[in-house]
Amino acid sequence: MPAATSPALPTLLVVDDEPKIRAAVREAVGRDVGRCLEAGTGQAALELARRERPDVIVLDLGLPDMDGVDVCSAIREFTHAPIVVLSARHSESEKARLLDAGADDYVTKPFGTVELRARVRAHVRRSRLPSAAQGPLQLGPFQIDVERRTASRGGEAVHLTPTEWSLLQALVNNAGRTMTHHQLFRAVWGVSHGDAQQYLRVYIGHLRRKLEADPYTPRHFITEPGIGYRFELAAGDHDAA
Amino acid sequence: MTRPERTTAQRALLAWPLSFLALAAAAAALFAVRPSVDKAHVALVFLLVVLGGSAAGGRLLGITLSITAFAVFDFVFLPPYYTFAIRDPLDWLVLAAFLITGIVAAQLLARADERAEIARRRADEVQRIAMLGAEALSVGRAEAALAAVARVIQSTLAVACCEVLIQRAKDGAYERAAAAGACVGAAAVDAASLAAWVARAGAAATERADRTTHLEPRADGAEPALASAQAPAWLVDDDVRALLVPLRVRDRIVGVLRVSHEAPIRLDPAQRQFLEALAYYAALGVERVRLSAEAERAESFRQAGQLKDALIAGVSHDLRTPLTTIKALAHGLAVRGEADARSIEEEADRLNRMVADLLDLSRLNAGAMPLDIGFNVADEIVGVALQRIRGLRGDRTIEIDAPRGVPLAARCDQVQAVRVLVNLLENALKYSPPETPITLSVRQRGDRIEFTVADRGPGIPSEERERVFTPFYRPLNARPDVGGAGLGLAIARGMADVQNGRVWMEPRDGGGSVFRFDLPLAELPKLDAPA
Repeated sequence: MPAATSPALPTLLVVDDEPKIRAAVREAVGRDVGRCLEAGTGQAALELARRERPDVIVLDLGLPDMDGVDVCSAIREFTHAPIVVLSARHSESEKARLLDAGADDYVTKPFGTVELRARVRAHVRRSRLPSAAQGPLQLGPFQIDVERRTASRGGEAVHLTPTEWSLLQALVNNAGRTMTHHQLFRAVWGVSHGDAQQYLRVYIGHLRRKLEADPYTPRHFITEPGIGYRFELAAGDHDAA
Repeated sequence: MTRPERTTAQRALLAWPLSFLALAAAAAALFAVRPSVDKAHVALVFLLVVLGGSAAGGRLLGITLSITAFAVFDFVFLPPYYTFAIRDPLDWLVLAAFLITGIVAAQLLARADERAEIARRRADEVQRIAMLGAEALSVGRAEAALAAVARVIQSTLAVACCEVLIQRAKDGAYERAAAAGACVGAAAVDAASLAAWVARAGAAATERADRTTHLEPRADGAEPALASAQAPAWLVDDDVRALLVPLRVRDRIVGVLRVSHEAPIRLDPAQRQFLEALAYYAALGVERVRLSAEAERAESFRQAGQLKDALIAGVSHDLRTPLTTIKALAHGLAVRGEADARSIEEEADRLNRMVADLLDLSRLNAGAMPLDIGFNVADEIVGVALQRIRGLRGDRTIEIDAPRGVPLAARCDQVQAVRVLVNLLENALKYSPPETPITLSVRQRGDRIEFTVADRGPGIPSEERERVFTPFYRPLNARPDVGGAGLGLAIARGMADVQNGRVWMEPRDGGGSVFRFDLPLAELPKLDAPA
């Protein structure tokens, strides 16, 4: 991981069959990257990614030669570089499939330049952070130590059940990244049984009631409808410019 | 019956002259040597001729031969000759024994012959049924199997026409599904209504020459559901012109078989049994036609659904790709200080929302909306909806009125439920004065969860209340810059419908409108540990 030691600008790989879209991505992210590689097909993208090892990949789903999900899983076989998917299909099941296949994030077309830039930056930053232990977290008025499994508000302990702790841990470990129902369920319960979605919904509800100031306007436990959940440490981090 | 019977009859006819010729020859030969032969020899030779005649010509010839031979024996060979008188009383015994032996032998031979004929016919039928079974299974199209059954029935019973009538899916009327033989024109209206009658009664019926119809008693002895039970007409009546048999598969009547003939139909019990057996094959054929039609329909629906989905996905891709380029270019211009670039970007966003709405509407109309119905918490739906309308809401007040404590849960698709609520909230935000609050409440009502969005807008006149849910509807007094294409409420209703929800509106006490959205309630799961 050279990125952890050198502050060098990251290498970006843009995969899209439309040159105009590649130009738009370059325009949006260009100032934050050192080098910008481009590929028009899935095959070319895989070759470039294997050879050049980019630090972040922006991948369009509508490639002429390969299914986007297949490109994702193929890239994941040799690199953990964040993949941000561009998609003109706004179907949630498709997004969930992509995240399950190893994508880190998705941006729907037509994307806003500002938004795309923010997402790419966030993922590059996250991938360069050491994945080591987190210290105590401050969520608004709540003090949380996931390692020690303690939570308090103004010195008063907040009790979480073991299941709630596991769920919180899974979310915090992937802060800023949307976890699919499937991924979360596997992380907390290990195997799938019964209606996985309903347990997840109920326990997320518990976390919100215990750790959010207002459960109706959650700032940390964000629902991605039809896809999963995302934990945000700082409120509004994901939408910030 | 058909061909084999006719050759038997021809053979029998030929047997008559031949038998009498043989009898005459035997008598002449014996007469020539009369002085040297015994009575017993004559009796044995004559008996031989009688047995031969019986075997060749049947019972009647055998008996006739016996009596003739008896008379010749008495007249020519028993003294006194050339009278029917008998001298020796013991000769009576010989004569009587001869006659009885001849007649009994003729009877026995004839019966054995009949048995053989029946056995042959059975074997023939079994073979036909076996062939039919194989044919019904092997033909590619179910209709062809049904036609094969009709053909076998028609040729085996030697009737003019055999047809299978089944119920039409669209109106339940009976119509011809297969026919064999000279069935004139389409099934007559009265044949169709008669078939319906037979199917309802669950019993066979006959049509007579005088155009009256009669139900038969049912085979299981139960009274037919309609009309009077009578003796089976196919046995007693000479003027039956058509026979209708209900077709049953597992106690369900799937159609009616009708055999008709221009001359009287007379069936013996064996033929009747044959008809019943083949009727079962016809019933299976009908069932197969129905199943394969259903399978075909399901397959074409599935293919149409896939095609629509692919088409819509393709259109959405084609429409959004240029919008992406436009937005990126506009952003670039805005960064370089172009004053109007900002509004190009905004308009591109607006166009994108319209594209999304139109695609959703066409998905709903095409029945191609992807659904993931599951357990969802009401609080979460409200939370996501509020987050989605943040931009449009600005600093407007939205009062939330929901029960605290035990959460309410619904069975629905989370994405679509959020969309419904977002559209209702957007509608309220657009069409009510900015200084008025909007109230969003959640309630349990029986086995449903009801979300309500209440505003203090101008309200909607009663005659417009359903029209607001039609696509492209816009209120007459709406400001031209307000809202989109007028699809929000139509989409809300469509999306509610596909997940067993409802959307409707009512006037609000004190002015304004209340939009209601309800969903089926879901039970909260039992959890593994106390919270």
